[in-house]
Amino acid sequence: MTLKGGTSQACAACKYQRRRCSSECPLAPYFPPDKPKMFQNAHKLFGVSNILKILKQLNTVQKMEAMRSIIYQANIRDKFPVHGCCWVIAQVQYQIQQAEEELYVVLAQVAFFQQQQQQQQQETDNNHNANDSASQLQALSLFHQEAPVNAAAAALPIASSYPNVAAAYSSGYPDHKDNLVNSFWVQQHPYVNGNNNSSSNNNNNNISMAMQSQMVSSPQLIIQQEQAQEYYEMHPFFDMIDDRQSYIDSKEAYDSSSDSSLKDTTQSVKHVADNELKSAAACFSLTSVN
Amino acid sequence: MASSSSYTSPCAACKFLRRKCMPGCIFAPYFPPEEPQKFANVHKIFGASNVTKLLNELLPHQREDAVSSLAYEAEARVRDPVYGCVGAITFLQRQVERLQKELDSANSDLIRYACNDIQSSLPAPPGVNLVHPTVPTRQRHEGEIFYQTPSSFQFPYSPLPWNESPSGGGGNI
Repeated sequence: MTLKGGTSQACAACKYQRRRCSSECPLAPYFPPDKPKMFQNAHKLFGVSNILKILKQLNTVQKMEAMRSIIYQANIRDKFPVHGCCWVIAQVQYQIQQAEEELYVVLAQVAFFQQQQQQQQQETDNNHNANDSASQLQALSLFHQEAPVNAAAAALPIASSYPNVAAAYSSGYPDHKDNLVNSFWVQQHPYVNGNNNSSSNNNNNNISMAMQSQMVSSPQLIIQQEQAQEYYEMHPFFDMIDDRQSYIDSKEAYDSSSDSSLKDTTQSVKHVADNELKSAAACFSLTSVN
Repeated sequence: MASSSSYTSPCAACKFLRRKCMPGCIFAPYFPPEEPQKFANVHKIFGASNVTKLLNELLPHQREDAVSSLAYEAEARVRDPVYGCVGAITFLQRQVERLQKELDSANSDLIRYACNDIQSSLPAPPGVNLVHPTVPTRQRHEGEIFYQTPSSFQFPYSPLPWNESPSGGGGNI
């Protein structure tokens, strides 16, 4: 009810109750006159007396916050008469559950790619080492006639193994990556289509498919990777040995290369690779003596 | 005093209000005498008359859920007179926002890994445009972040469940 001669309009609470809205009306700051429905909802759920009882025990700042929550709660109850705020809580909890599930799936995919990247890095390093050794061996073969031939022949199993390893990698990886790529693209379509309800199921299936494809191709890669690592692990050991002594050892290895095991030959090849120039000079001197 | 053949204990509401619990008492099915605190909270916050009006507007099969939600809200308001159950909503909404940020970050990492993987394994022939996987778009409404919900319900508020207006406006009213 509008005050006669007053400049301020009665608040929604006093308007609804049809009473005079004084300047000290406790509800006036919270219920503006242009929003009558807001007070009606609050009045319907709580009632004026109960609202005032709640506000009575609070300070000024708390009153503002409390009224906001009361008005919100009343509006929600008006929208959802049966469940009220519990419906909103259930919705948000559902959103949290969905988000957690989706996050779990994405993190699993990220971990998968990280693992794959690490494997690729290791294989790239192994391939580089193998290529370097093979190239240096070929360069040395120009200086060695008899012994180098034997060394080269003895080294052939190793050198030839690297093309096999490389071929295995090249043959294994495209299939492996094709499966991953296909599975990844399949996963992307549910996301693009926005079909989140089935995306989790699709993602799980596709992830399992990707994992299975990796499992199928991994044993072959693991075996050849072990061979490469075995070759690679011997390399740092011989770096610590004195050069001259290492040459002598390698020379003996050349002489008995036909009877040597794969490891010995590998060692000799590594020494030759590391001491290329010195070996070449020594060979010239030795051949001249012989 | 004549003893009746069948005596039903008064419900918690009638016990609290100290009145006779009639056979058609609307509170009796939902406020058993074993749970006195339940009605005490509801009566303290909402009032018995308001609850009666609310329940009379609902269908009988909806009343049990309504009483359960009212009891929950009343207990929350007793524990926290300032925020009540809205404090829980705010807390949960912040969790959603946090998860959304983590999800966006994880998705960006995934796209980066996937693009690198594709570019390294599949050399694209000239003239072919690789379709980059897109981040699943999230609907954003006035600064809010919400997923596809089963219903068309949208949170009418910003991360705080009420408007920031000083008059304490209630949103869509």
